[in-house]
Amino acid sequence: MKIRTMKLRETHAAADDSVCSILWASDLGHIVTASSSDNAICIHDASAPSNAPKFLRNHREGVTALALSPNSTCLASGSLDHSVKLYKFPGGDFETNITRFTLPIRAVAFNKSGTILAAAGDDEGIKLVNTIDGTIARVLKGHKGSVTSLAFDPKSEYLTSLDSNGTVIYWELQSGSTLHVLKAIAPNNGTDVSVMNILAWSPDGELLAVPGLKNNVVLYDRDTAEKLFSLSGDHLQPICFLSWSPNGKYIATSGLDKQILIWDVDKKQDIERQKFSECITCMVWKPEGNALAVIDVKGKYGVWESVVPSTMKSPTEDIPGLYFKNSNGLLLFDEEEEPCASGNLSDLNEDSHDDFEPLRRKRSRKHSSYDDEMEDVNDELETVSKVETRKKAFYGHKENLSGRSGSRNMMVTAGTKMQEPFQPGATPAQPGKRHFLCYNMLGSITTMEHEGYSHIETDFHDTSSGPRVSAMTDYFGFTMASLNENGSVFANPCKGDKNMSTLMYRPFSSWANNSEWSMRFEGEEVRAIALGSGWVAAITNLNSLRIFTEGGLQRYILSLDGPAVTAAGYKDELAVVTHISPPLPTNEQILEFRVFNISHGSQPLRGLLPLTPGSNLTWFGFSEEGQLSSFDSKGILRVFTSQFGGTWLPLFSASKIKKSEENYWVAGLNASKLFCIVCKSPETFPQSTPKPVLTLLDLSFPLAASDLGADNLENEFMMNNMHLSRIQRSIEEREASGLDCTLLDDEAFTVETSLDRCILRLIASCCNSDKHVRATELVKLLSLEKSSRAAIKLVTALKQPNLAERFNNILEEKLLSDKKENIALPDSKSNCNGSVKPEVASTKFFTAEINRAAETAVASPVHIFPSTSNTRARNAEEPTKDKNGKSEESKTMTPGRTIDLKATGKGNANGVHNAGEATKATKVDQLSSSRPSNPFAKSSSHQGSSSLFDSLKKTKKTDIKGKV
Amino acid sequence: MAGTSDPHASAFSAAELEFLAEDEMIEIVPNLRMDALNFISGDFGPFRPQIPTQAPLWLAVALKKRGKCTIRAPEWMSVDKLTQVLEAERDSDKFQPLPFHYVEISRLLFDHAQGDIPDTYMVRSLIEDIKDVRFHKIGKGLESISGGGTFALKLKNLSAMEANIVRPFVTRALETFYKLSSSDMIQETDNAPNRQQTANRGPRRQLKDR
Repeated sequence: MKIRTMKLRETHAAADDSVCSILWASDLGHIVTASSSDNAICIHDASAPSNAPKFLRNHREGVTALALSPNSTCLASGSLDHSVKLYKFPGGDFETNITRFTLPIRAVAFNKSGTILAAAGDDEGIKLVNTIDGTIARVLKGHKGSVTSLAFDPKSEYLTSLDSNGTVIYWELQSGSTLHVLKAIAPNNGTDVSVMNILAWSPDGELLAVPGLKNNVVLYDRDTAEKLFSLSGDHLQPICFLSWSPNGKYIATSGLDKQILIWDVDKKQDIERQKFSECITCMVWKPEGNALAVIDVKGKYGVWESVVPSTMKSPTEDIPGLYFKNSNGLLLFDEEEEPCASGNLSDLNEDSHDDFEPLRRKRSRKHSSYDDEMEDVNDELETVSKVETRKKAFYGHKENLSGRSGSRNMMVTAGTKMQEPFQPGATPAQPGKRHFLCYNMLGSITTMEHEGYSHIETDFHDTSSGPRVSAMTDYFGFTMASLNENGSVFANPCKGDKNMSTLMYRPFSSWANNSEWSMRFEGEEVRAIALGSGWVAAITNLNSLRIFTEGGLQRYILSLDGPAVTAAGYKDELAVVTHISPPLPTNEQILEFRVFNISHGSQPLRGLLPLTPGSNLTWFGFSEEGQLSSFDSKGILRVFTSQFGGTWLPLFSASKIKKSEENYWVAGLNASKLFCIVCKSPETFPQSTPKPVLTLLDLSFPLAASDLGADNLENEFMMNNMHLSRIQRSIEEREASGLDCTLLDDEAFTVETSLDRCILRLIASCCNSDKHVRATELVKLLSLEKSSRAAIKLVTALKQPNLAERFNNILEEKLLSDKKENIALPDSKSNCNGSVKPEVASTKFFTAEINRAAETAVASPVHIFPSTSNTRARNAEEPTKDKNGKSEESKTMTPGRTIDLKATGKGNANGVHNAGEATKATKVDQLSSSRPSNPFAKSSSHQGSSSLFDSLKKTKKTDIKGKV
Repeated sequence: MAGTSDPHASAFSAAELEFLAEDEMIEIVPNLRMDALNFISGDFGPFRPQIPTQAPLWLAVALKKRGKCTIRAPEWMSVDKLTQVLEAERDSDKFQPLPFHYVEISRLLFDHAQGDIPDTYMVRSLIEDIKDVRFHKIGKGLESISGGGTFALKLKNLSAMEANIVRPFVTRALETFYKLSSSDMIQETDNAPNRQQTANRGPRRQLKDR
């Protein structure tokens, strides 16, 4: 009989025999090992066994038990140092000491939802610990010896435990009471801790496997705890470990006789065996594959590939839905890759083919014998199904329980954790698929891992003008990238000790050869990168911001205030987002943004970055015009504006337009549109193939539902106002730097006209719903004189004479103040007062004209004129000074103006002058209205003159007539 | 020219119909940046990379030939939609609403933008099936023209290509029926059986709904 040997890899050096544990995470990538003689837990990369494993040395003494939560996010370990610790998985970050005992721990186990951790050992009780808050839900007492194994049934109704005396106890989880006690059914190991009795539920939860007294495995019924049948055969010594295959068709058992047997449970027959040089203390099936990971008493581990012969059903076929829901897709992927844990194992595979025939023969000779009373298994199985009716009663409770704990779990995971760093426009890595490292308005960088290397492609949306970039093989495993017109930058986090974090820059075109460069960071890890014109920035885990030039010169290193979230570059500007404190208990991330100007070495902006409560930042960048923008996971887009001393405006809300459950994945924006990729609801990010198509969405303020019912208009109004203020700011900036701004002036003029058009429509809807005050407010906001007149016509047409009159007044005020400005402009500051008078004159003309238009009873110019004396009375404080001012003025002014001024200067009831004034006024008016960019726009509120005119209007009829 | 119509066979040749269909709008995703194009028929664009825009089919095809855009198959050209239409077409006597130029559009897209249509083979065979079902239906419908009293046919949702094929025969047949049934007309219109005149002068037409 030829028996193959399997070479194992050493991980935990152990002098004498010790209990070792091994786990295979269902993400396939990781094997976790531990030994009771070593305080370290090792996380091995199953697909790359040559990589150094990650060591977790949090325990002070040997680790006796390991358990992985069902979703593979949390690792629990029990140790001889009496503590049970929780780690994040696969990262391995230590989380908490979830519980402590007074004596060594021997067993830990998670329930199916991962909410309860059971731990037990030499202490007398089994502790059920709530993994969320670490509270002890229950202590189950009943065992006399130290508990060596714990198993939650897959349906979460029972917990079974086995102690070193061989006693199995079924506990009901709901009540914590003992259901069945099966005494001395497993080998009695007494106080020998080097051998651990073990028990395991079949994946469908119908059978409990326990090592028997006759070197066999005995299977017990789920509910009645009756012995159903046993698997006995070739083991010469007691079984010390057993493990169910993922589908429950096979059991692997290891005995003290240093061999592993694989059993077909249905046929109750051993189908495969493997001898080892040491006793195997722990083994685990590959969650989605035909392989078994084993570890022996000396702490050596290995993977036995192709455990179940290919002629038989795969151990992953027909996995009960209870356990793996998406096994099929993964299975395919699984077979493509070659996760040989060690070189020897491929030899082993070859061996197995050679030995196939002799083994077969051997097996046919050695049929397993059944226990006598179990001859007809079918009968027994029928009894099992009968029992099932009883189980139904429990289901209600169980679902309640798991539902509650599930929602609690959600809150914690979504909860008060600081947001991880991210790159704008990146999508999460998906095994076997291409994903985006960077997607922006220019192009995309995609990557796909393939046999340890990645294949990176850079595509530009504009294939005609963009540079052609050859694909690249990536040996570093880049996870971050950024792209602009000139080049791309990549970075990877550090992986183990060997793979240092690397930053690489690839220019798309350069006059010099070999202008690609890379930087390595020792003991530092890149968290976020950004790219601008002529610079590259990287933020590391040491909170330092490193700025390089395009050529790779290390230019600046700055220290940031907190851990980086993300970074974005636009021309000279670099924007960086950092955490400044842990999130609030109300689940609000506290983020700060800073904008650096790299070429000036300045920091023009800094402030808090607002986010919707309970959301994360998901995109951060600049609009096409260079405005800082952010998008959060609640679908709110915010754009930074200099209004109100620098604030963020919410300019888009996905919830406002959300239709048929769509998610928006932002790629960029410009002044009026948001460019995003629409993803159908459960998806939150796009796939890289087929090439996603951008959708344009209008930016809009999240307005409250107004009683006006003209939301679109109101939104347009606000958007136009925002644009106008932005343009005006840039005009100011350009003027300050002495640049020509006629183009901007024209742009401002177009925005103003569209704003006026919008206001007029708003006025119409205000009039229709009788919001007269609002309409008057709107008229005041009109910037063009023409539109004010249109507004008057509009309200007249809508039969609102009182509004028309008010509008008239407003227009007059405007013209008045405007004229003042016009005339004041060429003046030195000295005589502001003087300029009032000509305006009075001109407005007289307008009152006349407008009043006629509005069909109100209006005095002719002659009538009005005396009223000027009335108004003059108010301004009479400095009449002499005025005159001085005017005389000065008149020298510099055009002749027409001087007449004007003189006329008003004399300011007395003189009908002849009146006509002259009127004509001059029109001239002035024409002058002003011929300017393309509207002078009214800048008209500040001249309170004095407006009140003056109000009073004038009010007293028009009575006073004037009285005077005349 | 091969494309010119034969006045006796049908009103238009297939090539002419295709030409007419090229004015239909279709969504394209350009991969170039180009300002809006101003044509007599209207302005198209501006074209920005990766941002879908509407363009006439001829422009789409021209851009596609130069590798400057991908064409997005219209909504009705999806397998789901076509399966629905095919089923409905088989179940009901009525013609299902499809674009007037569906035959030509699908043909143009298959010729020039095969790669841009998801499930090309499925879509192609579905459209062929639909076409067959509809032609069969037309053929069956024509049988019902026989017999007196039918002077006009109402064929709702008939597509350009289908109408083109039946037009010469049906109009003539109906004309003939008309002439035969109105005996007084026979003498008058003996010499000049003008279709338009018949239509104008005819008595109240009896519409046969098909």
